[in-house]
Amino acid sequence: MHIPDAFIPLNQAIIYWIIALIFVALAIRWARKELSDEKIPLVAVLAAGIFAIQAFNIPVSLGTSGHLVGGALAAIVLGSPFAAVFILTMVLIVQGVFFGDGGITTMGVNIINMGVIGGFVGFYSFKGLMAATKNLPVSGFTAAWFACFIPSLACAFEMYFAGTFPLVPGLITMGVYHAAIGIIEGVITVVVLYLLISVRPDIVAYKRRVNG
Amino acid sequence: MIEELFLIEKDAYKKSPFHDLDARIKIVLCFSALIAVVSLPYSPLVFRAGLIFIIFFGILWASSRLSPVVYLKRLLLVLPFGGFIIFFQIFFQNRYYTVFHPLLSLPFGISIYQESIEFALILLVKFIVSVSFIILLSSTTKMQDFLEGAGRLGMPAEFTLSLGMMIRYLFVFGYVLRKMQQAMESRCFDPFNKELPYKYRLKKIGYAIGTLFIRSYEQGERTYISMLCRGYGRKSHLFIRKKAILRYEWGVLIAGMTFIILIPLFFLQMY
Repeated sequence: MHIPDAFIPLNQAIIYWIIALIFVALAIRWARKELSDEKIPLVAVLAAGIFAIQAFNIPVSLGTSGHLVGGALAAIVLGSPFAAVFILTMVLIVQGVFFGDGGITTMGVNIINMGVIGGFVGFYSFKGLMAATKNLPVSGFTAAWFACFIPSLACAFEMYFAGTFPLVPGLITMGVYHAAIGIIEGVITVVVLYLLISVRPDIVAYKRRVNG
Repeated sequence: MIEELFLIEKDAYKKSPFHDLDARIKIVLCFSALIAVVSLPYSPLVFRAGLIFIIFFGILWASSRLSPVVYLKRLLLVLPFGGFIIFFQIFFQNRYYTVFHPLLSLPFGISIYQESIEFALILLVKFIVSVSFIILLSSTTKMQDFLEGAGRLGMPAEFTLSLGMMIRYLFVFGYVLRKMQQAMESRCFDPFNKELPYKYRLKKIGYAIGTLFIRSYEQGERTYISMLCRGYGRKSHLFIRKKAILRYEWGVLIAGMTFIILIPLFFLQMY
């Protein structure tokens, strides 16, 4: 889902960068306000952990593999979509600058897709589904699946606006692939949430709220 | 990807005229070259401009005394996603051409167009040149130096601090991940072993990922508390020592930037 440099024209890339920077600024404000002042280092170390988590290859089918993006997981655990924005921005900077995965001019659009859209979709679908169903596996799975699937559609639209991939084939290829990968994202997110609730319920935001 | 981290950093610790340049010079040169390539219109002039940029890259890479194999290996690793989009271009019409000449007609109404192949090649050239400058930057600049360079260039203090923490712990979690994978292997667990039930494999990987999440969270807590003990507060920031850019570094920067700015201007004039 990482759009590389050259696939988005510079003028459009600048617009995406501006939008991304607004959300990054809001995420920094969230980190300062909500994480009892100076806990930014904690989130930074967690971002390093998420980066390592993305290195786990998970079998999908027909010999292909995928990996966890972790945006929905971070947003659910830390209790804010801005957690995903903050963490994924740092992960994308490292991936783009040191590994060439993603791009520099396209970093803005990648932050929007995986951090902003993934984080917001993941967090609010989890919140809404938990309120409606009170069922963690269903809510966690669906939230993580949407957090993987919706950004891929956004990616197809952005490539269409850029004129570097037609819309319908883009939506089909990106949608089908990420719908499959999203199942893995969903299952792993639920397993991780279960583990966290069993071992460290105090760090899972919605558990903290339930326990008062 | 994290396995690659150690190799990249090992290359960045080597000595060469390019390695020795101030990180700010390398950041400005590489990012500017990348932006210059991206700013070129999607037209065949990208081939000639791309060739000149890749020669420029080749000179800089040669001055880094790194093997071309290092570059090629890293390039191959980042090709998949871009390569996928580039490959499928040949089957589609795009907005950058008005007339399309089919070269080959395939079943189900699919055609390969001459102009689409040209467009795919334009994208490929732009993609390879831009990725090459990123590979050059990361292979010749230590992560800490990059961070300090970015800080000196005006990256906000919140980000230099957070990114500094993240970079430091990337290596810690790289080792943790390696140990976890070795532990899995020593127990003969292979996530891709089809003889094991799929559900069982997913559950085990999920627990491993969850464990890594908890370890990183707890490491974050410990680090945060340790920092508090050392007087960390809201106004804390990463200390970046002032460093002057040497005369020869100014020379490299001015020469490089002149080249990077003039090449696109020259080709845009022709466009």
